Amino acid sequence: MNLRDADSGKILWQSSDDLSSPETEHEARVPKKVLKCRAVSREINFSSKEQMEKFRLEQRVLFKGKCLEEWYFEFGFVIPASTNTWQSVIEAAAENQMMPANVLNGNVIIETLFYDGDLLVSTSKVRIFYV
Amino acid sequence: MGLLALLRKLKSTQEKDLRILLLGLDNAGKTTLLKFLASEEITNVAPTQGFNIKTVQSAGFRLNVWDIGGQRKIRPYWKNYFENTDILLYVIDSADRKRFEETGMELQELLEEDKLHGVPLLVFANKQDLLNSAPASDIAEGLNLLKIRDRPWQIQAASALTGEGIKDGMEWVIKTVKKK
Repeated sequence: MNLRDADSGKILWQSSDDLSSPETEHEARVPKKVLKCRAVSREINFSSKEQMEKFRLEQRVLFKGKCLEEWYFEFGFVIPASTNTWQSVIEAAAENQMMPANVLNGNVIIETLFYDGDLLVSTSKVRIFYV
Repeated sequence: MGLLALLRKLKSTQEKDLRILLLGLDNAGKTTLLKFLASEEITNVAPTQGFNIKTVQSAGFRLNVWDIGGQRKIRPYWKNYFENTDILLYVIDSADRKRFEETGMELQELLEEDKLHGVPLLVFANKQDLLNSAPASDIAEGLNLLKIRDRPWQIQAASALTGEGIKDGMEWVIKTVKKK
Protein backbone atom coordinates (compact mmCIF):
# COMPACT_ATOMS: atom_id res chain seq x y z
CA MET A 1 0.00 0.00 0.00
CA ASN A 2 1.15 3.57 -0.55
CA LEU A 3 -0.18 7.08 -0.09
CA ARG A 4 0.67 9.95 -2.41
CA ASP A 5 -0.02 13.63 -2.64
CA ALA A 6 -2.35 13.38 -5.66
CA ASP A 7 -1.32 16.82 -6.97
CA SER A 8 2.41 16.17 -7.08
CA GLY A 9 2.35 12.37 -7.36
CA LYS A 10 4.97 12.23 -4.57
CA ILE A 11 4.89 9.27 -2.21
CA LEU A 12 4.10 10.28 1.38
CA TRP A 13 4.08 6.82 2.85
CA GLN A 14 4.54 3.28 1.67
CA SER A 15 4.73 -0.19 3.07
CA SER A 16 5.38 -3.51 1.44
CA ASP A 17 4.18 -5.44 4.50
CA ASP A 18 1.33 -7.82 3.97
CA LEU A 19 -1.44 -5.77 5.55
CA SER A 20 -4.02 -8.43 4.86
CA SER A 21 -3.22 -11.13 7.45
CA PRO A 22 -6.51 -11.00 9.31
CA GLU A 23 -5.46 -12.10 12.81
CA THR A 24 -3.36 -9.05 13.48
CA GLU A 25 -4.10 -5.36 13.61
CA HIS A 26 -1.44 -3.65 11.53
CA GLU A 27 0.00 -0.22 12.22
CA ALA A 28 0.89 2.51 9.78
CA ARG A 29 2.87 5.62 10.69
CA VAL A 30 1.84 8.26 8.22
CA PRO A 31 3.37 11.77 8.09
CA LYS A 32 1.03 14.46 9.48
CA LYS A 33 1.32 16.52 6.31
CA VAL A 34 -0.97 14.02 4.57
CA LEU A 35 -3.79 15.93 6.29
CA LYS A 36 -2.75 19.14 4.53
CA CYS A 37 -2.97 17.71 1.00
CA ARG A 38 -5.86 18.82 -1.22
CA ALA A 39 -6.14 15.30 -2.54
CA VAL A 40 -4.47 12.06 -1.55
CA SER A 41 -4.19 8.91 -3.59
CA ARG A 42 -4.09 5.58 -1.91
CA GLU A 43 -2.83 2.56 -3.79
CA ILE A 44 -3.18 -1.05 -2.80
CA ASN A 45 -1.36 -3.85 -4.47
CA PHE A 46 -2.63 -7.39 -4.31
CA SER A 47 -1.87 -10.77 -5.82
CA SER A 48 -4.16 -13.70 -6.38
CA LYS A 49 -3.22 -17.25 -7.20
CA GLU A 50 -6.82 -18.09 -7.98
CA GLN A 51 -9.09 -16.73 -10.65
CA MET A 52 -11.99 -14.74 -9.22
CA GLU A 53 -15.16 -13.73 -11.02
CA LYS A 54 -16.62 -11.00 -8.84
CA PHE A 55 -13.87 -9.55 -6.75
CA ARG A 56 -14.84 -6.47 -4.76
CA LEU A 57 -13.86 -4.64 -1.64
CA GLU A 58 -15.50 -2.61 1.05
CA GLN A 59 -13.39 -0.18 2.96
CA ARG A 60 -14.32 1.73 6.08
CA VAL A 61 -12.55 4.46 7.97
CA LEU A 62 -13.36 4.06 11.65
CA PHE A 63 -12.72 6.76 14.22
CA LYS A 64 -12.95 5.32 17.75
CA GLY A 65 -15.03 2.52 16.24
CA LYS A 66 -17.45 4.85 14.46
CA CYS A 67 -17.62 4.76 10.68
CA LEU A 68 -16.61 8.14 9.17
CA GLU A 69 -16.37 7.15 5.53
CA GLU A 70 -16.86 4.09 3.41
CA TRP A 71 -15.95 3.07 -0.10
CA TYR A 72 -17.01 0.23 -2.33
CA PHE A 73 -15.22 -0.93 -5.39
CA GLU A 74 -16.00 -3.77 -7.72
CA PHE A 75 -13.08 -5.17 -9.70
CA GLY A 76 -14.97 -8.04 -11.24
CA PHE A 77 -12.70 -10.57 -12.89
CA VAL A 78 -9.27 -11.32 -11.43
CA ILE A 79 -6.76 -13.15 -13.64
CA PRO A 80 -5.24 -16.29 -12.07
CA ALA A 81 -1.66 -15.80 -10.82
CA SER A 82 -1.96 -12.04 -11.24
CA THR A 83 -0.64 -9.01 -9.41
CA ASN A 84 -2.90 -6.01 -9.52
CA THR A 85 -3.09 -2.46 -8.24
CA TRP A 86 -5.93 -0.16 -7.40
CA GLN A 87 -5.35 3.50 -6.76
CA SER A 88 -8.08 5.74 -5.54
CA VAL A 89 -7.88 9.51 -5.30
CA ILE A 90 -9.70 11.09 -2.38
CA GLU A 91 -10.27 14.79 -2.17
CA ALA A 92 -9.82 16.35 1.25
CA ALA A 93 -12.75 17.80 3.19
CA ALA A 94 -12.87 21.57 3.59
CA GLU A 95 -10.14 22.76 5.94
CA ASN A 96 -12.55 23.70 8.72
CA GLN A 97 -13.98 20.17 8.65
CA MET A 98 -10.63 18.44 9.02
CA MET A 99 -9.89 16.85 12.37
CA PRO A 100 -6.45 17.73 13.71
CA ALA A 101 -3.67 15.12 13.68
CA ASN A 102 -3.43 14.87 17.48
CA VAL A 103 -7.11 13.93 17.72
CA LEU A 104 -6.90 11.39 14.91
CA ASN A 105 -3.58 9.90 16.00
CA GLY A 106 -4.02 6.22 16.89
CA ASN A 107 -7.81 6.50 16.81
CA VAL A 108 -8.30 5.80 13.13
CA ILE A 109 -8.58 2.28 11.77
CA ILE A 110 -8.90 1.49 8.08
CA GLU A 111 -10.80 -1.72 7.70
CA THR A 112 -10.90 -3.46 4.32
CA LEU A 113 -13.04 -6.46 3.49
CA PHE A 114 -12.31 -8.38 0.31
CA TYR A 115 -15.03 -10.47 -1.29
CA ASP A 116 -15.51 -12.75 -4.26
CA GLY A 117 -19.23 -12.25 -4.79
CA ASP A 118 -20.65 -12.87 -1.31
CA LEU A 119 -17.72 -14.91 -0.10
CA LEU A 120 -15.41 -13.07 2.30
CA VAL A 121 -11.89 -13.77 1.03
CA SER A 122 -9.72 -11.65 3.29
CA THR A 123 -9.83 -8.78 5.75
CA SER A 124 -7.34 -6.16 6.76
CA LYS A 125 -7.20 -3.76 9.69
CA VAL A 126 -4.67 -0.97 9.81
CA ARG A 127 -4.43 1.49 12.70
CA ILE A 128 -3.14 4.88 11.60
CA PHE A 129 -0.68 7.00 13.56
CA TYR A 130 0.09 10.52 12.37
CA VAL A 131 3.73 11.32 13.01
CA MET B 1 -3.76 17.22 -17.54
CA GLY B 2 -4.14 14.99 -14.51
CA LEU B 3 -7.00 12.64 -13.82
CA LEU B 4 -8.65 14.94 -11.31
CA ALA B 5 -8.64 17.77 -13.84
CA LEU B 6 -10.03 15.42 -16.45
CA LEU B 7 -12.80 14.36 -14.09
CA ARG B 8 -13.75 17.97 -13.36
CA LYS B 9 -14.09 18.64 -17.08
CA LEU B 10 -16.26 15.58 -17.53
CA LYS B 11 -18.63 16.32 -14.69
CA SER B 12 -21.20 17.99 -16.89
CA THR B 13 -21.99 14.70 -18.65
CA GLN B 14 -25.01 12.57 -17.78
CA GLU B 15 -23.20 9.50 -16.59
CA LYS B 16 -22.09 9.04 -13.00
CA ASP B 17 -19.45 6.42 -13.65
CA LEU B 18 -17.07 6.68 -16.55
CA ARG B 19 -14.87 3.78 -17.60
CA ILE B 20 -11.78 4.12 -19.78
CA LEU B 21 -10.10 0.89 -20.88
CA LEU B 22 -6.39 0.90 -21.80
CA LEU B 23 -5.25 -1.96 -24.01
CA GLY B 24 -2.35 -2.70 -26.32
CA LEU B 25 0.57 -5.13 -26.64
CA ASP B 26 3.05 -5.60 -23.81
CA ASN B 27 5.64 -2.83 -23.60
CA ALA B 28 3.41 -0.40 -25.54
CA GLY B 29 3.46 2.05 -22.60
CA LYS B 30 -0.02 1.65 -21.07
CA THR B 31 1.13 1.75 -17.45
CA THR B 32 3.51 4.62 -18.18
CA LEU B 33 0.63 6.55 -19.74
CA LEU B 34 -1.50 5.85 -16.67
CA LYS B 35 1.30 7.04 -14.39
CA PHE B 36 1.74 10.18 -16.46
CA LEU B 37 -1.96 10.94 -16.04
CA ALA B 38 -1.58 10.59 -12.27
CA SER B 39 1.53 12.88 -12.22
CA GLU B 40 3.63 10.01 -10.94
CA GLU B 41 7.32 9.50 -11.53
CA ILE B 42 7.99 7.18 -14.46
CA THR B 43 10.61 4.83 -13.08
CA ASN B 44 10.66 1.09 -12.54
CA VAL B 45 7.58 0.38 -14.59
CA ALA B 46 7.46 -3.41 -14.68
CA PRO B 47 5.32 -5.55 -17.02
CA THR B 48 1.75 -5.61 -15.70
CA GLN B 49 0.78 -9.10 -14.59
CA GLY B 50 -2.89 -8.31 -14.13
CA PHE B 51 -4.53 -4.90 -14.00
CA ASN B 52 -3.83 -1.39 -12.69
CA ILE B 53 -6.84 0.74 -11.94
CA LYS B 54 -6.97 4.38 -11.07
CA THR B 55 -10.16 5.77 -9.63
CA VAL B 56 -10.83 9.45 -9.18
CA GLN B 57 -13.97 10.68 -7.56
CA SER B 58 -15.37 14.07 -6.92
CA ALA B 59 -18.86 15.23 -6.00
CA GLY B 60 -20.52 11.89 -6.68
CA PHE B 61 -18.90 11.50 -10.07
CA ARG B 62 -16.36 8.78 -10.69
CA LEU B 63 -13.74 8.11 -13.35
CA ASN B 64 -12.10 4.67 -13.56
CA VAL B 65 -9.15 3.99 -15.83
CA TRP B 66 -8.36 0.31 -16.33
CA ASP B 67 -4.93 -0.71 -17.61
CA ILE B 68 -4.79 -4.43 -18.38
CA GLY B 69 -1.50 -6.26 -18.98
CA GLY B 70 -0.66 -6.82 -22.64
CA GLN B 71 1.47 -9.95 -22.52
CA ARG B 72 0.38 -12.69 -24.85
CA LYS B 73 -0.69 -15.00 -22.04
CA ILE B 74 -2.87 -12.28 -20.49
CA ARG B 75 -4.60 -11.12 -23.69
CA PRO B 76 -7.22 -13.92 -23.60
CA TYR B 77 -8.50 -12.33 -20.37
CA TRP B 78 -9.05 -8.88 -21.91
CA LYS B 79 -12.63 -9.79 -22.74
CA ASN B 80 -13.49 -9.90 -19.04
CA TYR B 81 -12.96 -6.16 -18.84
CA PHE B 82 -14.98 -4.94 -21.86
CA GLU B 83 -18.33 -4.39 -20.22
CA ASN B 84 -19.54 -0.80 -19.68
CA THR B 85 -16.46 0.68 -21.35
CA ASP B 86 -17.03 4.29 -22.43
CA ILE B 87 -13.73 4.88 -24.21
CA LEU B 88 -11.14 2.45 -25.54
CA LEU B 89 -7.55 3.73 -25.48
CA TYR B 90 -5.32 1.55 -27.61
CA VAL B 91 -1.61 2.13 -27.09
CA ILE B 92 1.02 1.29 -29.72
CA ASP B 93 4.81 1.32 -29.48
CA SER B 94 5.49 3.32 -32.64
CA ALA B 95 9.10 2.13 -32.70
CA ASP B 96 8.29 -1.57 -32.51
CA ARG B 97 7.82 -1.98 -36.26
CA LYS B 98 8.28 -5.73 -36.07
CA ARG B 99 5.02 -6.04 -34.17
CA PHE B 100 2.81 -3.61 -36.14
CA GLU B 101 1.08 -6.57 -37.73
CA GLU B 102 0.48 -8.25 -34.38
CA THR B 103 -0.90 -5.10 -32.76
CA GLY B 104 -3.09 -4.48 -35.81
CA MET B 105 -4.58 -7.95 -35.50
CA GLU B 106 -5.30 -7.51 -31.79
CA LEU B 107 -6.97 -4.17 -32.47
CA GLN B 108 -9.03 -5.65 -35.28
CA GLU B 109 -10.30 -8.35 -32.92
CA LEU B 110 -11.26 -5.73 -30.35
CA LEU B 111 -13.21 -3.78 -32.95
CA GLU B 112 -15.21 -6.89 -33.76
CA GLU B 113 -16.19 -7.54 -30.13
CA ASP B 114 -19.91 -7.15 -29.42
CA LYS B 115 -19.29 -5.74 -25.96
CA LEU B 116 -17.14 -2.97 -27.46
CA HIS B 117 -19.61 -2.22 -30.23
CA GLY B 118 -19.66 1.50 -31.00
CA VAL B 119 -17.19 2.34 -28.20
CA PRO B 120 -15.10 5.36 -29.30
CA LEU B 121 -11.46 4.50 -30.00
CA LEU B 122 -8.42 6.62 -29.32
CA VAL B 123 -5.15 5.17 -30.60
CA PHE B 124 -2.02 6.53 -28.93
CA ALA B 125 0.90 6.23 -31.34
CA ASN B 126 3.24 6.19 -28.35
CA LYS B 127 7.03 6.52 -28.01
CA GLN B 128 7.29 9.35 -30.53
CA ASP B 129 10.35 10.46 -28.52
CA LEU B 130 12.28 7.52 -30.07
CA LEU B 131 14.20 8.30 -33.26
CA ASN B 132 13.04 5.23 -35.15
CA SER B 133 9.35 5.69 -34.34
CA ALA B 134 6.85 5.61 -37.19
CA PRO B 135 4.68 8.72 -37.69
CA ALA B 136 1.05 8.46 -36.57
CA SER B 137 -0.15 8.80 -40.18
CA ASP B 138 1.78 5.67 -41.25
CA ILE B 139 0.37 3.74 -38.31
CA ALA B 140 -3.18 4.86 -39.11
CA GLU B 141 -2.72 3.57 -42.61
CA GLY B 142 -1.15 0.28 -41.52
CA LEU B 143 -3.97 -0.35 -39.07
CA ASN B 144 -6.66 0.47 -41.62
CA LEU B 145 -8.14 3.02 -39.24
CA LEU B 146 -9.61 4.95 -42.13
CA LYS B 147 -11.97 2.07 -42.77
CA ILE B 148 -13.59 2.36 -39.31
CA ARG B 149 -17.15 3.57 -39.80
CA ASP B 150 -19.01 2.23 -36.77
CA ARG B 151 -17.56 4.48 -34.05
CA PRO B 152 -15.77 7.77 -33.49
CA TRP B 153 -12.00 7.25 -33.61
CA GLN B 154 -8.83 9.29 -33.44
CA ILE B 155 -5.11 8.64 -33.62
CA GLN B 156 -2.78 10.75 -31.53
CA ALA B 157 1.00 10.95 -31.79
CA ALA B 158 2.24 10.80 -28.23
CA SER B 159 5.00 10.10 -25.78
CA ALA B 160 3.92 8.95 -22.34
CA LEU B 161 7.48 9.58 -21.21
CA THR B 162 7.65 13.26 -22.17
CA GLY B 163 3.90 13.91 -22.09
CA GLU B 164 3.79 15.00 -25.75
CA GLY B 165 0.31 14.58 -27.22
CA ILE B 166 -1.36 13.28 -24.05
CA LYS B 167 -3.27 16.47 -23.36
CA ASP B 168 -4.57 16.61 -26.95
CA GLY B 169 -5.64 12.99 -26.70
CA MET B 170 -7.49 13.55 -23.44
CA GLU B 171 -9.20 16.65 -24.89
CA TRP B 172 -10.57 14.36 -27.60
CA VAL B 173 -11.79 11.95 -24.89
CA ILE B 174 -13.66 14.76 -23.13
CA LYS B 175 -15.20 16.04 -26.35
CA THR B 176 -16.26 12.54 -27.39
CA VAL B 177 -17.77 11.57 -24.03
CA LYS B 178 -19.76 14.79 -23.94
CA LYS B 179 -21.23 14.09 -27.36
CA LYS B 180 -22.51 10.65 -26.39
